Amino acid sequence: MSEEIGGEIVPDSTRDLDIDGEVDLMIEDLDLWYANKQALYGVSLPIAKNSVTALIGPSGCGKSTLLRTINRMNDLIPICHYEGKISKGEVEITAKDADLVEIRRNIGMVFQRPNPFPKSIYDNVAYGVRLHHQPTREELDNIVEKSLSRAAIWSEVADRLHDLGTSLSGGQQQRLCIARTIAIEPDVILMDEPCSALDPIATAAIEELILELKKDFTVVIVTHSMSQAARVSDYTGFMYLGRMVEFNKTEKIFSDPDQELTKRYITGRFG
Amino acid sequence: MKKDVDLLKKKSRSQRDIVEKAGSAGLALSGLVGLFFLVILVWQIAIPTVIAGETGTIEPASEFIPESDYVLHWDYPNIDDQGNVKADPIILELSWDDGQTVEELEIKVVSQRGLTEDVYIDENGISTSEVEVGRKTKFYLKSSLTEQIEVKQISGPVPAADETGAPTVSSFVVSIDVDVLVSEDGIVFQPIELAGYAVLLVTMIIVTKPSEKSLAPLQKLYGKDKHVRIGSIVLAIITLALGGITVSSTLAAIGWLLAGIMVNRTTEGMQRLEQQGRTLKEVDRLKHSISNRDGLLMWARMLLFASTLFIPLAIDIPFLTERYQDIFQPYSSGIRSAFFGTIWVMTIAMVVSIPVSIGAAIYLEEYAAPSRTTKLIQALVTNLAGVPSIVFGMFGLAIFVKQGGIGLGLGPSILAAGLTMGVMAMPIIVLASQEALRSVPTSLRESAYGVGCTQWQVTKDHVLPSAMPGIMTGSILAMSRIMGEAAPLVVVGAAALVLFDPEPLAGIFGGNVNFTVIPIQIYFWTSEPEHAWHSMAAAASISLILLLVAMNSIAIILRQHFRKRLNS
Repeated sequence: MSEEIGGEIVPDSTRDLDIDGEVDLMIEDLDLWYANKQALYGVSLPIAKNSVTALIGPSGCGKSTLLRTINRMNDLIPICHYEGKISKGEVEITAKDADLVEIRRNIGMVFQRPNPFPKSIYDNVAYGVRLHHQPTREELDNIVEKSLSRAAIWSEVADRLHDLGTSLSGGQQQRLCIARTIAIEPDVILMDEPCSALDPIATAAIEELILELKKDFTVVIVTHSMSQAARVSDYTGFMYLGRMVEFNKTEKIFSDPDQELTKRYITGRFG
Repeated sequence: MKKDVDLLKKKSRSQRDIVEKAGSAGLALSGLVGLFFLVILVWQIAIPTVIAGETGTIEPASEFIPESDYVLHWDYPNIDDQGNVKADPIILELSWDDGQTVEELEIKVVSQRGLTEDVYIDENGISTSEVEVGRKTKFYLKSSLTEQIEVKQISGPVPAADETGAPTVSSFVVSIDVDVLVSEDGIVFQPIELAGYAVLLVTMIIVTKPSEKSLAPLQKLYGKDKHVRIGSIVLAIITLALGGITVSSTLAAIGWLLAGIMVNRTTEGMQRLEQQGRTLKEVDRLKHSISNRDGLLMWARMLLFASTLFIPLAIDIPFLTERYQDIFQPYSSGIRSAFFGTIWVMTIAMVVSIPVSIGAAIYLEEYAAPSRTTKLIQALVTNLAGVPSIVFGMFGLAIFVKQGGIGLGLGPSILAAGLTMGVMAMPIIVLASQEALRSVPTSLRESAYGVGCTQWQVTKDHVLPSAMPGIMTGSILAMSRIMGEAAPLVVVGAAALVLFDPEPLAGIFGGNVNFTVIPIQIYFWTSEPEHAWHSMAAAASISLILLLVAMNSIAIILRQHFRKRLNS
């Protein structure tokens, strides 16, 4: 089934969703509207555990919207409403009575622009931990050090933990945000174009970090850079105009895509 | 084609230049006009605070009035019983013929009442250069000249001066007596209080600008943070025990504690630095490892600033500390009761309005769903901020002052005035706070929700602290606006003349409800006929302006502090 929109043949969201290994998150038939404007059309997507799933597609195709629905960040936008189901194991994330705090604790998020709290570096990491547990000073120190080390920023900030998080450079801030996210031990980390505001060196550092993180976490990353998707991800979903046009293993998508649209997008011959 | 474009470019460029020049010239001109008016304003307020003494003119004599006269009298003698002149001699300068002829007349005022002597001026000049008169006794300058004579006092106590001979001509209404640390009654400070402030100051300097030398003694304190803490607590208790529970000794005690905390934090930071394999030579890095350094420094600065306010025991400004004397002694009166009245009204208004307004702003911005009702409330608040103050006065009269109906029956008291002013400040603070809350970036809220905050945690831990500079500035500006308001308090019932310090809770517990505030005091003083009162009103205006400047400076300091914390 397909639809012609603006001279482009756009297929319906794909149902061909096979993955190897365990499914961590399952998105089923998600329709989403901003007021009257529909942004997602029947999107389904499995997220494999301990792997990196990349979402690619042109601007405005609904990648970020889909990502923000997974930890229900879209609930903050009053005009946004949706139908469909997202589940994580037994837990139905999209349920009306779902515990949003618990969901967001389990599904951490790193945003497009680094947004550390205007607190010290230490407090940036410790804040989330203090919210959910009552750690002792020593435990907290350990968690902070461990999180900062895992986010590959410890050596740079170890002697200035009480400086403001906002005083760091852009790339460092983004890694601090990642440290803040992993400090509360989520299962899934959502990354919304984490490198779009960074220079190539910082980007390389973050990409390396993502590969490191997938040992412990399930990572979903939205990216504009196809080379980045090819480098870091195991699975890739290509979205266009709110539809999940194609989903498959990254090698497959980038070497031999099934859909004509996907092929044209990844080769750069696109509208 | 290319030529056409070039021509267009040239034309638009010349037009652009003209507009640019005309615009900046216009702005500069209006700016200068504005500054000019400001200077005139300040000048006009400042002039009357210089005491002019006796000035006036003797009208020219004519065939109908062969002798025109000018009345003089002094209230208190400037000659003691031995005939010696106390303070400066009273000298009048009489000039006529366009300043061609100048004569001086010395006036000796003796304590014996009723003694009087007139002075005559004719073509030959003045009849005497010295005249002796009794206190509070009129005497005349009589002129048979056909020219106008200018009378001007150039020295000595002014006619309305008090027994001490103060003030004299060309002095200021407000006099300041500074005795640093020691006054006539002895030492103002307990030495231990002074030591507390000094230690705090030294610690502050070390933390602000650490150097290897200054840090060396601190190295000995490694691992002794408990001793330091206990030591500072003991010193604080001793300070309190010696000085009693006064503001000054309490501040000094807090100073000891603060210094203790700062020393501990610094040694902690130094140890952390050394654990990182860095040496203390890199003093610049120390500021990164002292936790909450900015906050501690701000408190230390505020405390030291506040401690200087307690030198008033040593700095004597009679104008601020004296009560209203009587109608015949303007210069020895002060604005004490009005000053305290203003402080109390402001305090009550602040306590009432700030928490409620911030709460309302948070509710409207963060919690209330956008609906028709919220929009209506928003419109109401916006309009209330523009309602004339006298209307709030009527509201206060009906709700707080009067008894019966919905009236609380507090009477024309400070409490009623403070509540009225609080209500007046509320819409302003709500609007300023809403603006501040709105300017908190969405990304901050998102990142907080992202780590699993509830809405209240987001508001309390992230949104409010970020909005704090704006909220505080708004609140303090609202306070300084109501501090200058007179109209509502005229309606609520501020008194013209208050002889005693105001009692803030008299509205509830009974007692003397009379109060006044500085603007009202200025208003009533300017309506007195005596010129001296106008000088007093001018001085009170200046006090009010200085109070406003102080409040706004605090607003600026706080804003800078919080902004630095958020942005640096």
